[in-house]
Amino acid sequence: MSSESSSHSLDRPTREVSISVNGETVSAEVEPRLKLSDFLRQECGLRGVRVGCEHGVCGACTVLVDGRSTKSCLTYAVQVDGASVTTVEGLSEDGDLHPIQESFHQEHALQCGFCTSGFVMATKELLDREPDPDREDVEEGLADNICRCTGYQNIYDAVDRAAAELAEADYPRGED
Amino acid sequence: MSGAEPHSEVAAGEDVETEQESFVGTGLERVEDRRILTGDAEYIHDKAPENAVHMALARSVHPHATIVDVDTSAAEDHPDCLAVVTGEDLQAEYNPMPCGLNAFEEWSLAVDKVRFVGEPVVAVVAPDRYAAEDLVDLVDIEYEQHDPVVDAMDALEDETIIHEDVGTNVPDGETMEFGEVDEAFEAADNVLEREYSWGRISGVPLETAGVVAEYDPDRDAFDVDCNIQLHTLVDDTVYETLGYPPEKVNLEVPADVGGSFGTKIAIHRYCVLAAVASQQLDGRPVKFVEDRIENLQGGDMHSSDREYQVRLAYDDDGTIRGVDTWFVDDFGAFPRYPVNQALKPLSVVTNAYDVENVRYDYELVMTNKTSQTAYRGFGVPAHLFALETAVDEMAHELGVDPVDVRQANLVQPDQMPHKIPTGNVYDSGDFPAALDRIQELVEGEEVCEGGLLDPDTVAAKREEGKYRGVSYTVHIEPGVSGSDWTDRQRTEKGALEEREREDVEELPEHFRIELQDDGSVQAYLATDTSGQGHQTLVTQLLADQLGVLPSAVEVGYLDSVTAPTEYGTAASRMAVMLSGATEGAAEELRHNCRQLAAEEAFGSALDDIVYRDGGVECQQSGERLELADLADLDRGRGQRLTRVQYDYDHPTTDLPEFDEALTQKFPVYPTAAFAANAPIVEVDTKTGEVDILKFYSLRDCGTRLNPTIVDGQAHGGIAQGVGAALMEEFKYDDEGQPQAITMFEYLLPSTTNMPDIELEHSETPSPFTATGAKGTGEGGMIDGPVAIASSINAALREFDFVTDQIPMTPHRVRSRLRDEE
Repeated sequence: MSSESSSHSLDRPTREVSISVNGETVSAEVEPRLKLSDFLRQECGLRGVRVGCEHGVCGACTVLVDGRSTKSCLTYAVQVDGASVTTVEGLSEDGDLHPIQESFHQEHALQCGFCTSGFVMATKELLDREPDPDREDVEEGLADNICRCTGYQNIYDAVDRAAAELAEADYPRGED
Repeated sequence: MSGAEPHSEVAAGEDVETEQESFVGTGLERVEDRRILTGDAEYIHDKAPENAVHMALARSVHPHATIVDVDTSAAEDHPDCLAVVTGEDLQAEYNPMPCGLNAFEEWSLAVDKVRFVGEPVVAVVAPDRYAAEDLVDLVDIEYEQHDPVVDAMDALEDETIIHEDVGTNVPDGETMEFGEVDEAFEAADNVLEREYSWGRISGVPLETAGVVAEYDPDRDAFDVDCNIQLHTLVDDTVYETLGYPPEKVNLEVPADVGGSFGTKIAIHRYCVLAAVASQQLDGRPVKFVEDRIENLQGGDMHSSDREYQVRLAYDDDGTIRGVDTWFVDDFGAFPRYPVNQALKPLSVVTNAYDVENVRYDYELVMTNKTSQTAYRGFGVPAHLFALETAVDEMAHELGVDPVDVRQANLVQPDQMPHKIPTGNVYDSGDFPAALDRIQELVEGEEVCEGGLLDPDTVAAKREEGKYRGVSYTVHIEPGVSGSDWTDRQRTEKGALEEREREDVEELPEHFRIELQDDGSVQAYLATDTSGQGHQTLVTQLLADQLGVLPSAVEVGYLDSVTAPTEYGTAASRMAVMLSGATEGAAEELRHNCRQLAAEEAFGSALDDIVYRDGGVECQQSGERLELADLADLDRGRGQRLTRVQYDYDHPTTDLPEFDEALTQKFPVYPTAAFAANAPIVEVDTKTGEVDILKFYSLRDCGTRLNPTIVDGQAHGGIAQGVGAALMEEFKYDDEGQPQAITMFEYLLPSTTNMPDIELEHSETPSPFTATGAKGTGEGGMIDGPVAIASSINAALREFDFVTDQIPMTPHRVRSRLRDEE
């Protein structure tokens, strides 16, 4: 399990996993019950993965697993052995915000920010799948994510802006 | 520059002069965003000291029971177990938590009895959270169950009392009369009497409570990192419980908190338990993060849960002569600090209407539910819902359009500032014009061909059983609460009567600025933030006030030991209090910079030196010093002139209009932001579903310091209003078991049911505040639910349907329509 728990007095069963996280392979001995969200946060130090409900409703923990948006709180680390995981930390390149991140900033699509990583990743999958989404596509694509601060209005604007920016910039799509 | 105008009384040469365009009033991009968007932001859940260990809580499964035995031996025998804390351990060495009413004794872990499902009984500590939860399973608690008190109206009867030592389930209540109430009801042509219900609804921020506490044996002191709201005000709930003086218990809140909306004011239990556990472990840091089920069922964060009886006295011409409201508020198992949530409606007791005779009567009851805390609006949403629904029904009785009744009773612009019967004063605004404007807007845009309320479309939809409608309503959002009145319920009634104006003590807003060696500006807030963009607001204000670029300003936060006791982020205070404090501190810094230049460099008189564009200039010689030069000059001095502290007084301090309310501890809210709303709804009479097709809202919060942030607050508030109106509720079954313990049951608005919001603005500056701003952090949640309720009433008028309960769920719509048949 995580470095936080390496002092275990008790032998617990573990499994070895090897997961590509933001392009780098991470190999670790993990408990089978370790959630992917905890693996990413604790083992990989990727705190941008937020945990809001741990029962798959709020979507704050959304990451991409082989390009598909996935709730990491409902996924065990052992389930994604061999897979490729992208978190919000994997989006920005050389310190520049990804167009989706930049659009969220420009449109004031975040307040407390706790849901933001999840929304950004869900948007990534949505725009990879549907580069020119209409409002219905956006509502459906983001329906598994809850924001308690913004009332979603500015998130819609951010997604529209990101779609336009990506279309213009010919940004790489799909699997990062 | 706009921000400097209120300080026009300053001495010659004092004024900041600048070539730079004002940042205040623009939608400056938020300085908080980048770290959040990249995943860099450090929330409390992310704090993980290397050697931290983890706490989990064994919680009561019963609503009301005597604890017969607590057996922790199996947990203690487990090799992962590092510490166990029980209620008895707390009783031996610590104190009960301060309560909102004096008679109560609440321990951080239950002692003798449990009083709600989810009440913590035992704390265990293990190397990681997974192991800690394993230990919780090994804790064996034996209970003897009692009948639960679940219904607030039953609780009033005192048949089963849940606090035997208090002797009643009704520890607080008051009947307050303003004007000639009985006379008004007797003289009026008509009296309407109705009952309404407001469900148990709350904030549910996406980030749950969290704490990392570390005891330092050498200093015999605690460092408590946590996401408590108002950490410089409610730190007493932690240090008093631990039995330490304030300077020994340092609460620090991260710059980023994942939402609070009032609810995290009451997380002190967790702070205390983690601190106690760390002390037991000789200072090893102990971390606790509340999981979502804990948060929803036993997180001490439910809010207003009321049954109303409303009477309106009115004449045949639609004039409202008197308002008489009684309600019972179900506070759950313990009266937490925000008991004054029952009183805040007094600040807007007549909403936007000119009514002189008011009775306000409430009873606060204890039941076997999790304790109530603050939520956006602080008790006002329920009151406005009850009052305005009664106005709808009154119009219906008179056979007139509700908008005409409303218009006829509004406070007129020439009555401003307007003192309402309870002594609070509305500062400014043209309510009739706002109501006119929203009606005109919707009629122009939607009651026309192709519009949502195109008569042909409305008729066609009715054929499908779908009823569309809209109602136009005006609401006040009381802003910038005073602090002195908030302990009214803990004050002896006799003492209240003897109070004089000079007995009133308002907490100021504290603020600091320190010039850095490189001339950049470091500022410190003395409160915490949970998404409101305070760092951006302060950056804008200081950029203007000091004539520097936003990138030259850094904004940090003071911990509870460094900061004085002050109020902080609540009650729509910060736009006014923080901007006032920032400007005051900046003015002092500008003055000090000139003084420093006079004494250390120019050798000229103070009046000969001006502050201009991030530096000072000698008008005679033309010499100039930049901020970095000034920091350099100041470095060797004993008393540093480039480090300033400022305390901004509450606006009512200099406003005699508020003397009466202040002296009697009635709620004072010196700004009246307001909104005129028109949500267009479509009710499916077959399914009972309410679809809000579009939400029109005209909002006025005085001068908008950052319009982008103001819009964000409006959007988010309205979204919470939509949730409250239609879907959110912490229900309990008859046995006292909570029915909404996951987000599958406590439903929050999502992209699938959030309507488009059409915002319009007007700006009526407040005459009572330094910047003209009014508080506006709560608006949509205050006025959203009542506006939606009124539009549902309009849509279903022909069924005599009344939204008499919030939330109005599909099931409730269907059952009322069935009953009507």
